[in-house]
Amino acid sequence: MRILITSASHDRSAALANHLAQHHEVRLTERTHVETEHEFALSGLGHDNSTNLLTRGIDAIIHAVEPLPEEDISSQLDAATRCTYNLLMAAAEEGVRQVILLSTLDLMADYPAGYRVDETWRPLPQTQPPTLTKHMAEQVSREFAREGSLDVRVLRLGEASDATVADAVVDALAQPASLAAQHRSKEEGARDPWPITHVGERPQ
Amino acid sequence: MNVLILGGAGMLGPYVARELAPNHNLRITDIRPPEEDLPGEFFLLDASDLDGVVAAAAGMDAIVNLSVLRRDRKTAWDVSTRGCYNMMQAAVTHGIDRVINTGPHYTVAGRHITEMLDFGIVPDIPPQPGTNLYALTKAMGLEICRVFTEHHDISVQHYLFYNFKDPAAIQPGEHYAPYVISWENSAEVFTLGLDIDLDALPSRNEVFYVFADMPHGKFSNEKTKRILGFKPRKDVENLWK
Repeated sequence: MRILITSASHDRSAALANHLAQHHEVRLTERTHVETEHEFALSGLGHDNSTNLLTRGIDAIIHAVEPLPEEDISSQLDAATRCTYNLLMAAAEEGVRQVILLSTLDLMADYPAGYRVDETWRPLPQTQPPTLTKHMAEQVSREFAREGSLDVRVLRLGEASDATVADAVVDALAQPASLAAQHRSKEEGARDPWPITHVGERPQ
Repeated sequence: MNVLILGGAGMLGPYVARELAPNHNLRITDIRPPEEDLPGEFFLLDASDLDGVVAAAAGMDAIVNLSVLRRDRKTAWDVSTRGCYNMMQAAVTHGIDRVINTGPHYTVAGRHITEMLDFGIVPDIPPQPGTNLYALTKAMGLEICRVFTEHHDISVQHYLFYNFKDPAAIQPGEHYAPYVISWENSAEVFTLGLDIDLDALPSRNEVFYVFADMPHGKFSNEKTKRILGFKPRKDVENLWK
């Protein structure tokens, strides 16, 4: 499988690349240049043809939606919304099978401690990153899933080790949403195009 | 009331400015100069300029956001999404508790998801804009506003429009959307939004469809009439009569 991972400058993306490269072809991308031993493509995730070229031939995208160092809020919002839109639009046009969006369990941090919060609960973003930006990236990706142009799986990451996150990503890659849906009964619903999975412990 | 109008030099802005000017002090901004004289003060401002929007809101009691860019993949996000963040940050900074935001009807009810199939569509359905650039960028702006109202004492009224008409220019048999209003009638809702007691709103984030009474029943303006006291004019009926 050919996998594109965004936010290459972030430690989690680097760790995922190292893990996935054992069994897959991995390409990293970032909005600034990053030194890495993996294939790397500099991309501003704009709406020009370069984003199509970035995603061409890719089977799955792991979209990490992480800020650059010292990035201001306006730029972070731009990356989480516009750049996510451009990436997913290009992915849909290029026939990418699956997108895994790495979100955050911080979206559920405001629920009282002791509540058994699961994926069916409403997210509670703050007005600042990271929860606002992750939430907006979720909202943008949801519309692609709603229209059926992409399978998008959201992993909301809590307090979890790199190994746990990597295992969750591998599981998600192994079960594209549409494939998982094929095994559901009609009573449960024909298709779940935007599955969300909570990974690790919820911050409180 | 001191009112900041963002994007006030566009198509709707002059109508809103003329409607509000007799009873309010207006500070109008836009990324381009107005094509006609507008009441109040005017200066150039890009709604995507956070510092500029925050500065423009100083001393204001309310913000009206009319800014819009529909097609350009960069500026649509700059204006319709980040512009809303900037507006809400400005409201927080200056303690402004009344904001009126605007957008197209499919900010909530995406064209291919809802409009083609359903009738009696109300503005309180969960937003489902789809990936249409204009709809999605405005929907993300609405969502940012909603998040701010969850954390701050700010009320945001979202007025959604679809198809504007000049009654004098209506031609027999011309095409129209199932959701039409005259420019003058649309401006009147902003007076209602500035006058309403914010405690009379059901929540701090409310969406309203603003259009004339139409016989088709595709969308509903009942909420706008019931809560804001909006009175649709009968000035676009030549479209279907």
